[in-house]
Amino acid sequence: MTAPPLIPRRMAGVFVAGCAVLAVLPALDLSPYAHNQLTLSYVMIAGALAWNWMGGFVGQVSFGHAAMFGIGGFVAGRLMLHMQLPPPVCWLAGGVVAGVFTLAAHPTLRLRGPYFSIATIGIGEISRQVFTYWEEFTGGATGLSLPISAVQKYQLYWWALALAAAVALASIAIRRSSFGLRLLAIKADVDAAADVGISAALYQDAIFALSGAVVGVSGGIFASYFVFIEPGDMFGFDRSITFVLMAVIGGVGTSLGPALGAIVYVVLRNYLLASYPELHLGLFGVLVIVIILFQPLGITGLVRWLVRRVQRAASPGQP
Amino acid sequence: MTALLAARGLTRRFGGLTALDGVDLTLGEGEILGVIGPNGAGKTTLFSLIGGSLAPSAGEILLDGRPVTRLAAHRRVRAGIVRTHQIVRPFANLTIFENVMVAAIHAHRRTEGHARDRVAEALELAGLADRPERYPASLTLAGRKRLELARALATGPRVLLLDEVVAGVNPAEAQAFAALIRRIRDQRGVSIILTEHVMPAVMSLSDRIMVLEYGKRIAEGTPGEVVADPRVIAAYLGSEAGQGAAS
Amino acid sequence: MSRFADLLVSTVLLAGLYATMSYGLGLIYGVLRVVNLAHGGVIMAGGYLGWVLYVRLGIDPYLTIPLVALASFGLGVALYQGLVRWLPRGAAGGPASLLLLFGVWLVLRNIAYALFTGNEQSITTAYSTRSLALLGVHLPVTRLAVLGIGLAIAAALHTLLRRTQVGRAIRAVAQNADSCTLVGIDVDRIYTLTFGIGTALSGIAGVLLATVFSFNPSSGASELLKAFVVVVLGGLGSIWGIALAALVLAAAETYAVLIMPSYLTTAVGFVLLVLVLVLRPGGFFGHRILA
Repeated sequence: MTAPPLIPRRMAGVFVAGCAVLAVLPALDLSPYAHNQLTLSYVMIAGALAWNWMGGFVGQVSFGHAAMFGIGGFVAGRLMLHMQLPPPVCWLAGGVVAGVFTLAAHPTLRLRGPYFSIATIGIGEISRQVFTYWEEFTGGATGLSLPISAVQKYQLYWWALALAAAVALASIAIRRSSFGLRLLAIKADVDAAADVGISAALYQDAIFALSGAVVGVSGGIFASYFVFIEPGDMFGFDRSITFVLMAVIGGVGTSLGPALGAIVYVVLRNYLLASYPELHLGLFGVLVIVIILFQPLGITGLVRWLVRRVQRAASPGQP
Repeated sequence: MTALLAARGLTRRFGGLTALDGVDLTLGEGEILGVIGPNGAGKTTLFSLIGGSLAPSAGEILLDGRPVTRLAAHRRVRAGIVRTHQIVRPFANLTIFENVMVAAIHAHRRTEGHARDRVAEALELAGLADRPERYPASLTLAGRKRLELARALATGPRVLLLDEVVAGVNPAEAQAFAALIRRIRDQRGVSIILTEHVMPAVMSLSDRIMVLEYGKRIAEGTPGEVVADPRVIAAYLGSEAGQGAAS
Repeated sequence: MSRFADLLVSTVLLAGLYATMSYGLGLIYGVLRVVNLAHGGVIMAGGYLGWVLYVRLGIDPYLTIPLVALASFGLGVALYQGLVRWLPRGAAGGPASLLLLFGVWLVLRNIAYALFTGNEQSITTAYSTRSLALLGVHLPVTRLAVLGIGLAIAAALHTLLRRTQVGRAIRAVAQNADSCTLVGIDVDRIYTLTFGIGTALSGIAGVLLATVFSFNPSSGASELLKAFVVVVLGGLGSIWGIALAALVLAAAETYAVLIMPSYLTTAVGFVLLVLVLVLRPGGFFGHRILA
């Protein structure tokens, strides 16, 4: 008996087609505003999906992902400033350093549930304080300016799209693979998972490092996009909150839900900042509450529910 | 006959309480060992120690003569010792197939193709082959116990620890389980340690029986010998009220 | 020697702050097994409420405590009845409850921002900067007040839990909620009450902290963190355990300042938490917290 492919053929086809369309879009008279918003969305999609590997697949909700995001951003920034390496190399390096950082957080990975989550708040807060103080690295309160030209910033669109596409594919593949199965088992019952031979420590470490590394890379691209970054923002609790919000809105635990959540978040945030700037955090808070109580799988759950309703209406004879 | 599994001087203390006190145990290849005793005798603690979810306060456990005492639970499974739980713990978010699959992929470092075959075999043996895409919530208690069994089987164990598999199911199901357990030993050559409150099941299935009371081993032998042992009779008669209330 | 005495006193005063800050979180977690992620937000809200009452109505901040307690209690009851009790039971309750209360925190933060803007505030009274000099040691009046009120609260909580019918019911529910239904205890009512009291305690802590530290709508994260460290170190259901743990944390931080730069002191509590949890993998009081 052979295993089903990690990426079903039809899905792969749709996916490639979609990416091709998106890749060609800027050539078709796309406004600079839309070009930039899409670039940002791709970065957010990658970050949200990567967060979801921790929060959704293995069930460890992190409120501290800004730490890896910031490390990725500043490592990339410093490399660009001092070593004049091409941006993609710097982003990758940022990702690697972020990944190593999460491995250093190994002791917290042995914590369960709320204990882990609060520990991540600690990681985030302490990172913020340490890196803000570490002026040689982050520039302190004055921050860092990256040497990104206008042309390079324009080209970020395709790099970000590539990252988002890669992370999306990885999400689908992980979910369908035996690796993903082990993660879900750990999420369901850590002890029972051990009783069938799964080493929780190993797999949690692995997915945390992967998640951190990807978020680190997205931090590098984000930094290149905004050109100017400062530690209070990159490492801030609000930054960590963003990942949580995107995943919850889209659907924590689903393969691609957080990607949807990222798009909705970017759009909603722009709208709220323009129309009701003082209310945007609170409205997101209300959204989270509503989602948790009524449709824990966010937009994905809503869509599935609607599809089931439509199916049932179309064929009333079925149970 | 060298024992497949040997435990010597197993002791476990919880603060001031000694749940298990210097228990020795041997399990031969292809043997079914029954462990019985009144409530609180230490049966589940014994299982947790052998299975690896608890570390002993003293004593050692040897598989094929090699010590496994320091191995964590998940490593013990790889070594070939796997347990089921008294209160079944299926992975609620995985289908029946996936539940067994996640156990199968782990046991041996084979390709995924072989793991799927092992899953099919385990499901077949446990009588769950007809609805592998359903979720555990859709199963009855007996069904979930079968799932637990299938999951344990899929790891390709050499020693299977069955913790009250028969408890809580109706007599017909209990019969089926007993037959299943015998089949596992006969067809797969798995050695089994089982514990039950349901006496007829233990008596008919076990080649040998070990009796625990207050954490100590008080008797060991064939079912016939153990049943006639005055100390065993005293242990059960003495706590008959407790037994009655528990069942 | 006077330096040592100074440090000792600082430690005790800081411990008083930390203990008071932790009772609310500890009570809710001990009874409902829910980590109130909105704890930091309630502390912030309590601070603002006390500040508003002081600035607008001229009531001395420490005298606003009964009002703030009442308002916070009401908030807690509303939160439980309106939101928390609808959470799914079992394993799903874990991350769900965290996220739900996190959402509440965001809302609280926004309300504070909308009403008071993001500026840093603090409650400054005529005596805010005064200290008592006792045996060559300086005792800031505000910190003394916090310690005193904190002790009073601890005593009141102890009396409530040990000497009243309600308190006994609360402790019973914390032990085993299912059995309690069997003996006729209205578990839902106890949960409501506990959540209310816990939130009230957090609100009171907010006022007290506001007389010592400055705050803004984004405050609360480090308070939540430290309270959590104290609760975990001190144990669930033990007021005096919390007080002791607060002392340990305060001591660790105070003496850490001697060897490391001040911006790292938040890390001390965190490191302490991780160290303890890793070295005691069985968890505290039979509660499995490690994977």
